Amino acid sequence: MSLVKIFSISTRARTSGTTGMLIRHASSSQGKVEKVYPPNSPGYKYVNAENPAETFKEMSDRAAQTMFWTELARGFAVTLAHVFKEPATINYPFEKGPLSPRFRGEHALRRYPSGEERCIACKLCEAICPAQAITIEAEERKDGSRRTTRYDIDMTKCIYCGFCQEACPVDAIVEGPNFEFSTETHEELLYNKEKLLSNGDKWESEIASNIRADHLYR
Amino acid sequence: MASLLNILVRKSALGQTKSLLNNLPAVYNVNSQRKAHRWMPDAEFVKQFEGAVMYPDEVTSLLKHPPYNSVITPTAKQVRNMVLNFGPQHPAAHGVLRLVLELDGETVRAADPHIGLLHRGTEKLIEYKTYTQALPYFDRLDYVSMMCNEQCYSLAVEKLLNIDVPLRAKYIRCLFAELTRLLNHIMAIGTHALDVGALTPFFWLFEEREKMMEFYERVSGARMHAAYIRPGGVAIDMPLGLMDDIYEFSSKFAERIDEVEDVLTTNRLWVQRTKDIGIVSAQDALNYGFSGVMLRGSGIKWDLRKAQPYDAYHLLDFDVPIGTNGDCYDRYLCRAEEMRQSLRIIEQCLNQMPAGEIKTDDSKLTPPSREEMKTSMEALIHHFKLFTQGYQVPPGSTYTAVEAPKGEFGIYLVSDGGSKPYRCKIKAPGFAHLAALEKIGTGLMLADIVAIIGTLDVVFGEIDR
Amino acid sequence: MSIGKILALDKVATFFNIIRQNGGIRASLYKLYRQDELKDGVLVGEDKYGNKYYENPRFFYGRNRWVEYSDNYNMNYDGSQIPAEWFGWMHYKTDLPPHQDPSRPHYKWMSDFTENLSGTTGQYTPYSTTRPKVEAWVPKPKTSQ
Repeated sequence: MSLVKIFSISTRARTSGTTGMLIRHASSSQGKVEKVYPPNSPGYKYVNAENPAETFKEMSDRAAQTMFWTELARGFAVTLAHVFKEPATINYPFEKGPLSPRFRGEHALRRYPSGEERCIACKLCEAICPAQAITIEAEERKDGSRRTTRYDIDMTKCIYCGFCQEACPVDAIVEGPNFEFSTETHEELLYNKEKLLSNGDKWESEIASNIRADHLYR
Repeated sequence: MASLLNILVRKSALGQTKSLLNNLPAVYNVNSQRKAHRWMPDAEFVKQFEGAVMYPDEVTSLLKHPPYNSVITPTAKQVRNMVLNFGPQHPAAHGVLRLVLELDGETVRAADPHIGLLHRGTEKLIEYKTYTQALPYFDRLDYVSMMCNEQCYSLAVEKLLNIDVPLRAKYIRCLFAELTRLLNHIMAIGTHALDVGALTPFFWLFEEREKMMEFYERVSGARMHAAYIRPGGVAIDMPLGLMDDIYEFSSKFAERIDEVEDVLTTNRLWVQRTKDIGIVSAQDALNYGFSGVMLRGSGIKWDLRKAQPYDAYHLLDFDVPIGTNGDCYDRYLCRAEEMRQSLRIIEQCLNQMPAGEIKTDDSKLTPPSREEMKTSMEALIHHFKLFTQGYQVPPGSTYTAVEAPKGEFGIYLVSDGGSKPYRCKIKAPGFAHLAALEKIGTGLMLADIVAIIGTLDVVFGEIDR
Repeated sequence: MSIGKILALDKVATFFNIIRQNGGIRASLYKLYRQDELKDGVLVGEDKYGNKYYENPRFFYGRNRWVEYSDNYNMNYDGSQIPAEWFGWMHYKTDLPPHQDPSRPHYKWMSDFTENLSGTTGQYTPYSTTRPKVEAWVPKPKTSQ
C-alpha cells in the first residue's frame, strides 16, 4: 500500500494546475486586445491546454525522463505494488457477495401464515408486466373464493424489473432473493403455479425477512 | 585499359599523334563492352527453331520458345484493396459492431460501420407500453449508463405532465447519475486501455465498478437494470447507511484514478497510441453532431448540465473538462477529469441531501406506499388504476436531453393524451459518434481504428436501439 | 509494531494455525483440493444438511463469511445448496444466523430446501395447471345389441 503512495505522484499531477503553466498568447488582428488561451471561463476546465515549458531545465528534465524511462518505471512500480495487495476476488461457491433485501431474483408465490395462497388473481402483475411474461387464468374455487388456476411466468421473457411485486396488492408474487436458478434447458424456465408456490414454500423464511428488513421504505 | 590509353593518347601533347589516332579503331575493338563473347543470333536464325524442332506431335507443336531476350511483357491484372471485416465478434468492436474496413496495406482507406445487429425495436415497443412500462426499456439502451437514460425519460414525461419532483428526489437522481458517469467512464477508459494493450487498469477499475453495482443493487434491487428513477421521482428511498458507504467509496476512488493515471497518462506507449490519433476539429465535431466528451475533447464548451441544468445540477458546483487538440489523448484526459468532477458532485450531493419525499404527492401519477394502499380505499383504487391503465399524459411533445456520460442523450416524446406514448424517438449520442468513424478513421492505421473505437465509447444497446 | 509482525512471523503462526484448524496436513490437503483455499475461522453454525458456516473478520468484507459444503456432496457442491435460512447471513443481509434470529417465520407448510435440480432426474418440467380448453370428442364404442 505504501509503495503505491510513493509512486503515485505523477509529473502531470505535480505540474498541472500550478503556476508553472505556460499560457499561450494569441494576438488578435486589432493588435491591442490579447486573447488569453486557455480562456478563463468559470465552470470549465482545460485539461491539456498548456504547452510544455521551453526552459532549459524543463527540456533537459523531459529528455532525462525519456532517456531513463521514469514514467514506465513508475507505471511498473504501481502495477507491481498491486501484486502484493490482497486480491479482490471471492471464492464463489464458498464465499458469496453481499446482497440487499431489495434484490430482485427468482419469482415466488407466497402464502398466508395459515397456508392459504395469497394470490387472488387480480391480474395486476399480468397487466403491468412490460415483457408480458405472466399468464393468469382464474376460476372460482369450491369454497367460493377467487383463485388462479393458471399462473405461468416465462422466466426467459422476464426482465426482472420488479413491477409485478410492486403491483401486487397482497404481496403474493415477489421476486425472491435466489439467483442460482440457471437451468440446462429452456423448458425448465417456463414456471407454472406449482413451481412458483413451491418456490414460495422453499424461500418463505428469506422472503419474509427481506420484506421486514425493507418495510420502512415500502 | 584501352580507353585509358585512348585518353592518354588524346590528351597527350605529343606532336605526331595523328597517325596513331588513325589506327585507333583497332584499339577500340578489344573493348569488353562489345559483348563479343556472346553469340547474338539474328532473327532468321531464331525463327527456324520456333516450335518443336525434331518430330512435332500435336502437343509439342503448340509449344513456343520464350522470346530470345527472355523478356515477357506483363499482362494487365485487376487489383484492389483488401476489404476486412472487423467484428461483429471482435472483442475490440465493443459489442456487435461490424466494421468493413478497406485496407491499403495497413492503412485504412475507408471504414464503413454496419449497425443493426442489436436492434430490438425499442422505440416501436414503447408505443405499445404505458409510460410506466416503458421505463425498463431505457435501462437496456445504453447498458453501461443505465440510470442516466432513465433520468432522461423521467424528465421528458415530467415535462409533458408539467410536474416538479421533490428536492430529495432531484438530489438522489444527481447522485446516481454521477455514479453512473463513473461506471461508464470506468468502462470507457478501461476498455480503451485494454484495446490498445494495457490490460491491467481494466481489472483495477472493474473492482470499483463492482462496488458501484452493489450500490445500484442496494438502492433498486438490480445490479444493472435498475428501473429506479421513475417519472415523478424515484421508485423507493435510499436505504439507511447507503450514503455512508457511497461517501467511503467516493473518498477512496480518487486514489484509483490516480493509479490509472500513473500507469497511463505519461506512459509513452499510451501517448504514442492516442496522441494525434483520431483528431476531430471543433468545426467537424459540431458538424457531425457530436456531444459529450467527443465534443468537449475538441474544445467546445458544451455540457447540458451547465448549459441547461436539470434536476439539481444548478445547485451543484463542478467544472467541465475541455480538451484542446481533439485527439484520443485529450478525450482520455477529459474522461479522467470528468470522473474527478463526478466525485466532487457526489460528495456535494451527499452533503446537501435534504430530507423529505422522494416522489411527487400527486396520487394520480405515483403509486401509493404499501401501507397506504392497504389501509385506504382511495389509495387502493389509485393503485389499481396506475398499474393497469397507467396515467394519462396531456397531449404535446417534448425534446428532453440529459448529459449522459457518452453525450447528449435525448428523447423526443409525443403524447396524444392517452396513457401510452404516441411516439418516442431516442437520440443516442453514440450513433452520431459511430457515424463519424468514416471521417475520423480514414488514412490512419488499422491499429488506430481500435483506439478510435475505444475513444468513441460506443455501446450498441443505444446505437441499434 | 512488534518485531514479529515486521518479520511476518505472525503469518507463519497463522499458517500453522490454519493447518491445525483444518484437521492436520492430510485433511488440509483434501480441503485445499476441494475448496481451492484454506482459511481459519469461527464455526458460526451448521444447517440440517451438514453445511458448516464460518466467519473470520480478518478477511475483507465479502470474504469474511464462507460455507463448507457437507461432505455428502463430495465434489458436487453447488452455490444453490445453501438453504433459505442461511441465505441472508451468507449474503451479508443480516448478522444473525437463523438459530439466533427469532423473527424468522416457521410455518408448517414451509417445505424442505432443495438445490437447483436442473440436469438431474428431479428437475422441474412445465405442465399446465388448468383443464384443457378444448376437449377432444371421444366416440362411444358401439355397443353390440
